[in-house]
Amino acid sequence: MSRTALALAAATALAAGCGSADDRGAPAAVPDTLRYVTAGAAASATDDPHGGILNQSDLARFALVYDVLAKPGADGGTELRLAESITPDAALTRWTVTLRPGATFTDGKPVTAADALFSLRRIHGKSAENFGRMTMFDLDASRVVDDSTVELVTTKPYAEVPRALESVTFVVPDGTTDFTRPVPGSGPFTQVEGTPEAAVLERNDGWWGPAPALRRVEVRAVIDPQARAQAVLTGQADVAIGVNPATAEQVKGNADYAVVHREAITLYPFVMRLDQAPFDDVRVREAIKLAADRDALVDKVFLGYGKAGGDLITPADPISPDLPARTRDVTRARALLAQAGHGGGLNLTLHTTTSYPGMDTAALLFAEQLREIGVTAEVETAPPDTYWTEVWGQQPFYVGFFGGIPFLDVARVSLLSDAPTNETGWKRPEWDAGFDAALATADPAERTKQLGQLQTALRDEGGYVVWGAGDGLDLVRAGVEGLPTGPGFESSFIERTRLTR
Amino acid sequence: MLLGTARALGRAALVLTAVSVLVFLATAALPVDPARARTGGRGDVTALRAELGLDRPPWTRFAGWAGDLLRGDPGVSLVSGRPVTDLLAARLPATLALVAAAALVALPLLLAGGWAAGRRPRTAAPPLVAVAAVPQVVVATGLVAVFAGVLGWFPAVSFVPVSGSVWDRPEALVLPALALGVPAAAFGAGLLGGAVADALALPHVRAARVRGLPEPVVLLRHVLPDLGAPLLRVSGLVVAGMTASSALVETVFGYAGLGELLVGAVSTGDVPVVQAIALLSAVVVVVTSTAADLPAGTPLGRTPLGSTRSGSTR
Repeated sequence: MSRTALALAAATALAAGCGSADDRGAPAAVPDTLRYVTAGAAASATDDPHGGILNQSDLARFALVYDVLAKPGADGGTELRLAESITPDAALTRWTVTLRPGATFTDGKPVTAADALFSLRRIHGKSAENFGRMTMFDLDASRVVDDSTVELVTTKPYAEVPRALESVTFVVPDGTTDFTRPVPGSGPFTQVEGTPEAAVLERNDGWWGPAPALRRVEVRAVIDPQARAQAVLTGQADVAIGVNPATAEQVKGNADYAVVHREAITLYPFVMRLDQAPFDDVRVREAIKLAADRDALVDKVFLGYGKAGGDLITPADPISPDLPARTRDVTRARALLAQAGHGGGLNLTLHTTTSYPGMDTAALLFAEQLREIGVTAEVETAPPDTYWTEVWGQQPFYVGFFGGIPFLDVARVSLLSDAPTNETGWKRPEWDAGFDAALATADPAERTKQLGQLQTALRDEGGYVVWGAGDGLDLVRAGVEGLPTGPGFESSFIERTRLTR
Repeated sequence: MLLGTARALGRAALVLTAVSVLVFLATAALPVDPARARTGGRGDVTALRAELGLDRPPWTRFAGWAGDLLRGDPGVSLVSGRPVTDLLAARLPATLALVAAAALVALPLLLAGGWAAGRRPRTAAPPLVAVAAVPQVVVATGLVAVFAGVLGWFPAVSFVPVSGSVWDRPEALVLPALALGVPAAAFGAGLLGGAVADALALPHVRAARVRGLPEPVVLLRHVLPDLGAPLLRVSGLVVAGMTASSALVETVFGYAGLGELLVGAVSTGDVPVVQAIALLSAVVVVVTSTAADLPAGTPLGRTPLGSTRSGSTR
């Protein structure tokens, strides 16, 4: 069946390629294949949807072939997918997840509670690779109630279970452990050929959701942002996800192309370790934060495609408070340094690398800005190969990276005392207790307020100088509509994208 | 004859063993950790290292890998968990196509360059050395700037079609093949020049030139038969070199071949993948150099150069 379809598609493509245009000038048919190029390296391309997913290309592919229980909504709320409802008990430790009726895998079997629980347990089993996405659950105590109901037990009261499930909760058939051969999925598309780094997907007409406008999607992993842009500019792709600001400048005013903005998702914070001098003094940290000329940094590093920041670690997260950017204050910064005993000047080394475009520029420019408050920062650039193992999380002062992950995830991975990569050494029992208390609060408004206070405390006293956030920039050819623009995981869901010409 | 074959096989086994040990040592010495790569740098890698067997001593790991390989199992990628055979099968055809296309570019150029270098070493050598000395990345970038940028004849990125094969879009092969083939041909021509000069000095060739035969006729009828062995050896070297150095060109053009995979695998310390690709390249080198050492008396090697040619007057 799919082979026939493929042959047909190939024949059509061939006919189109041979320029057999209709001589009578009839309008050309609108193409229904989206050629989608996004970030990914062949060496890390994977077929396993539950481990460490390093490639954007894999994430987009999994979001097309598998269903998640829930996904981030474009409006910042939770959009239910396989789950029809997610409801807590009064203590917020027992959650009932009901699955929607009518969802089936491509082998015709219905998606059941057993499949969902098996998948969550498998994700939890790979905690080391996916930075503990399911650690809030006690999955041994969780159980299948009936074919369409799972009861999830949390280790502590946890009011944000819907947000925990709106991550990579890809559901696969119960018992699946081998992904080297195609596995039945229940998503809007199914993979018909190719490899993880260059895959052909076709619409799954048995999907429960609204039928996608696209019949085929080709997902290709390309590591270099310049090459991704070239793919669209040379007509070899319709969409290039994640292009450089310079590319956006280049196509400005060109009607054949459009740039889609995903607002404020790329962060290169300056990271100070609280457990190493001189950053163990909160006055020094505040002085460093006050030294940053944030608008200049956004202009130089992101060519203006971004927003100045106020040291909130997740400015794009809907649960983060809306606080203004921090204003530069050289006088106050100098006074703080003098109080901390550095009136005669301070020598630092600021480490950076070239993994992401602009990381090195950010460090060089900030070193200049620091000079004005009496700090001499020497910039040391390490190669990307060694930076993340030898500098990141170890040196007292360096340029970090965050890419659109939500606050609850950042807290779990980098801020709580027992976080596996607590890169700033932010270890505060009272902050941890506040975090638990917020998550035990049922009222959403009150909970968001408490989480906001935690983020504000981090802004004032923590080790992150979040000077700004760059936009995610996607280059599309004219005629591509409906590409997702949300932060983080939401942008991987492209089944509603369509082509108008 | 049989003894010769056995000796050749033994040599090949020795070379491949040496390559795999060297590659293992080099990869082990890299400051990268596949477990860390797998977690994206955030997370506790201790458990994962144990799961992947990375906490065992290097020689134990090497012995385990080599034992599996001898049983025909090259293992799975440490980073993605995919079987190495799948990874290679998906990308080998693309690299073979690229090397074949580059050979189509390189071999005629090699012959022409070698001929020029043999006839007029003083004038031909400097440009050959110059071309051979230009780094591939510069050649590739220059080609893109001219043929993709200014002229717009060929694509600046060379995607292998997701369905079908690279031969469905041959235009995508042009620039990578030129970037790979031209410097390699210049390098090979420099090596071949000496052999051509030797051949031109042979009495029967000199006689032919004195008789005023056109140059191409002299080349094809009189020089080539005597060039057989060195030409094969240099061509083998050039093709093997292109196979081994395809990584850079593939990366520049976003071409999904083995070289591009190798670059990524090296940067994550993915030993089984690096080993498999390195061994494949080594096999190509061993096979081409063994073929080039074909004994005299084969149709191609009438009189191997460098042997004594007492009384070879025709």
